[in-house]
Amino acid sequence: MEKTNTEYVVQMKGITKVYPNGIAANQSVDFNVREGEIHALMGENGAGKSTLMKMLFGLEQPTEGEIYVRGEKVHLTSPTVAIAHGIGMVHQHFMLVPSLTVAENIVLGIPPRKGIFIDYKKAVEITEEYAKKYNLHVDANAKVMDIPVGMKQKVEILKALVRGAKILILDEPTAVLTTQETAELFKELIHLKNQGYTIIFISHKLKEIKEITDRMTILRGGKSMGVYDTKDTTEQEISRLMVGRDVVLSVEKDQAQPTDVVLRVKDLEYTNEWNRKMLNKVSFAVRKGEILGIAGVEGNGQAELVEMLFNLNQPDGGTAEVNGKNILGVDQDRIRAMGVSLIPEDRMTYGIAGDGTIEENLISDRCDKKKFNIGPLFNMRAIHQESDRLIDEFDVLCKSNQQQVKMLSGGNIQKVVVAREFSSDPILIIADQPTRGIDVGATEFIRKKLVELSRAGAAVLLVSADLNEVIELSDSLMVFYGGQISAYFEDTSSINDEIMGEYMLGLKHQSEEEIRRVCHEG
Amino acid sequence: MKDKRMTLFNFVRGAAAILISLAVGTVFIFLTFALAEKHYTFGECLENTGEALRYMLIGPLFKKTGDFNTMGLFQILAAMIPITFTGLATCVMFSANQFNLAGEGSVMAGGFVAALCGIYLKMNTGLHAVVCIVVAAAVCALIMLIPALLKVKLGASEMVTSLMMNYVIMYVVLHFLNVHFADRSKGSTQTFPFAATSKIGEIIPNGSKLTWGFVIAMVFVVLTALFMYRTRWGYAIRMIGANQSFAKYSGMKVGGTIVLSQVVGGMLAGMGGGIEVMGRFNTFLWKELPGYGWTGVTIAILAKNNPIFVPLAAFFIAYLNKGCSLMSTYCNVPSEMIDIIQAAIFLFFAAEQFLSGYRQKLVVKNTRADLMKTAEGRKA
Repeated sequence: MEKTNTEYVVQMKGITKVYPNGIAANQSVDFNVREGEIHALMGENGAGKSTLMKMLFGLEQPTEGEIYVRGEKVHLTSPTVAIAHGIGMVHQHFMLVPSLTVAENIVLGIPPRKGIFIDYKKAVEITEEYAKKYNLHVDANAKVMDIPVGMKQKVEILKALVRGAKILILDEPTAVLTTQETAELFKELIHLKNQGYTIIFISHKLKEIKEITDRMTILRGGKSMGVYDTKDTTEQEISRLMVGRDVVLSVEKDQAQPTDVVLRVKDLEYTNEWNRKMLNKVSFAVRKGEILGIAGVEGNGQAELVEMLFNLNQPDGGTAEVNGKNILGVDQDRIRAMGVSLIPEDRMTYGIAGDGTIEENLISDRCDKKKFNIGPLFNMRAIHQESDRLIDEFDVLCKSNQQQVKMLSGGNIQKVVVAREFSSDPILIIADQPTRGIDVGATEFIRKKLVELSRAGAAVLLVSADLNEVIELSDSLMVFYGGQISAYFEDTSSINDEIMGEYMLGLKHQSEEEIRRVCHEG
Repeated sequence: MKDKRMTLFNFVRGAAAILISLAVGTVFIFLTFALAEKHYTFGECLENTGEALRYMLIGPLFKKTGDFNTMGLFQILAAMIPITFTGLATCVMFSANQFNLAGEGSVMAGGFVAALCGIYLKMNTGLHAVVCIVVAAAVCALIMLIPALLKVKLGASEMVTSLMMNYVIMYVVLHFLNVHFADRSKGSTQTFPFAATSKIGEIIPNGSKLTWGFVIAMVFVVLTALFMYRTRWGYAIRMIGANQSFAKYSGMKVGGTIVLSQVVGGMLAGMGGGIEVMGRFNTFLWKELPGYGWTGVTIAILAKNNPIFVPLAAFFIAYLNKGCSLMSTYCNVPSEMIDIIQAAIFLFFAAEQFLSGYRQKLVVKNTRADLMKTAEGRKA
């Protein structure tokens, strides 16, 4: 007992976590990390990786099980306690204040003082000292909103280090990075490892894991599938352990037969509240029967574009038309009446009302329809029929149409959204991160449906941060960088990650003529 | 099965909140005796507390002899009339996430407007009363446009504007009452008596003030429930309350629906005021806000914004009110005790985390059972 305790710097024993919505995210998971190693925590989306790490960082409390740090039993009741035990975490979504400088962010909450004032000079000194020591180069005086994603991540890592973290948890650190930035991050991580730091690396990307980690723990469906030495395990084995079968996530699709332009966007411009130009004269067209993908590192204008197209935000200039009719600044019911559907990026904010029943969430766009009303009253029978039909057709796992949506798993919640958006006979589907954070089954299902609908004649605009997804699914592909289209590929079959990375990072930029092809004019 | 257990849990949780609140009330009742000027012994204090509790909890329905108090029941049902309406009004507005508190002022305005119609219009019996109530409802619906439009057009918090508006309404009513409509022949400020044609009569003429207004209130419970759960407007109100961004994205008219919810709320509250005044009194004599609007907020919270539960909650509050007034009459306990008990109920009901530990245990148990079932299913 004593011996095992000293071998590991972190030991989590028999961890079970049940969320208030009844989802068992972890079931009797054991997780052990040796000092000075890079340990991968692997698993698919929804396997329980983030939950396990949230408990190690004190953000969530285990329902059952014990946690030991350096052999000592601890109760990590909050991140403050976790940090006091030398545990730091870099979240997938950065927890930085955009309007403050890098140095200010790094000392946030623990600022050096001069009397009652914050000693800013000292803050810069601290930042630079740590940056040098750990080879994490950042610009201490730059505002966080002005620096690239890769540097933001370094700021997050520095933040943890300055607070005295010896064990670093990185939650999918490469998800938002380009290939080049990822390579740089790996160098820095190895540097940290050599200085005796322990790193827990959450990921579901096989190649990265093989490249950088020493050992790995694999989670599947909330349970541990065991611990393995990275060098003795093949990618196929890992994949099998992660999903339990050899998933083929490549979707079969016929050659697209695009015809008329459905959505035409011209010179769309938008400057955000921090005076950053998020969309800079963006022009493109989506045709009937094709899937046009938008790849790019998040934060390069994709989200803003989608907001404009569904009137969730107002552009500064430009036009957008569906079949020749303006959609900018038009109320959502009229946009929908024109046959436009949207799978929103943030399903909990826009996609559903969590407290509502599945049925209530399925009819939100069509409750005014004649079919569902008898005079002033709802036609409950027609509504029940519609919801049961959609639940059945879109394979939503639930007890009944009266179940609260927030009680469903992420994948099933997304199926509810998709069921509603796909069943209104759309002529244009805007799918923004349609499979983010959901299980393989639901992912496959949604991708298949997207292809099906496009082949049946819908125009699809697909925005995804998942490179594989956007390359697999799209017939043609745009890359967004700095609020502009930096590349357009008419055919996606010849694209590889390397080339994409260069465009996504802004190292390369196609000529205007090449990009203008996406407008399909003349 | 699982959902049934959760429903049961919610009931247990509500009952626990009420019991704890009553316990808190008991402590305060005990303290009033213990700290009274006349020095009671400990035993006397306990005895008096017991007596006071008897009046509060059993007194409204049972006489000291143990006989059932039919009159008491009628009076409780009569007291339910205005608060059922304000409760419904608050349910509708809170469902849209609009914390409009002008139900209080609407009751007063509705009562005043109905009274004026009752005094100055000449009509047939029956129709006259209906006109009074309809005009009251319409005026209050219009009044509610003020906070609603300020919210939708200018983004002004409806909670602040509606709260302030209560006092504006009160002073406007008092101004007109004092300056234009007062019956100078009377000792206190009040209007001339209503025409007999405008009065809302008692169901059984026995002086209990249980008028046909009670029947109208129950009809409106059903109508409001239908409106909220069986029409597209009620559905839109609830979805906006649940997630406004979702409603907007789905294509609902968010601004219009927010206004609608408050107009319906004003209408219901105004009706409640009109019915109360035309049923209980012969002249309009309120000189301050009657308090039914505030009670309506408590009722909406007890009923979890579901119109169907409003009569239950209204009965409970009316019962407690009656009990407390008996207690203060016969046992020298201040009648403000009702406010203490109400406040305690309020706290425990509104506190999301109350008994959440127990809820979590239930959830864990349920999930375990589900996992076992799926595991067995797989084996088989």
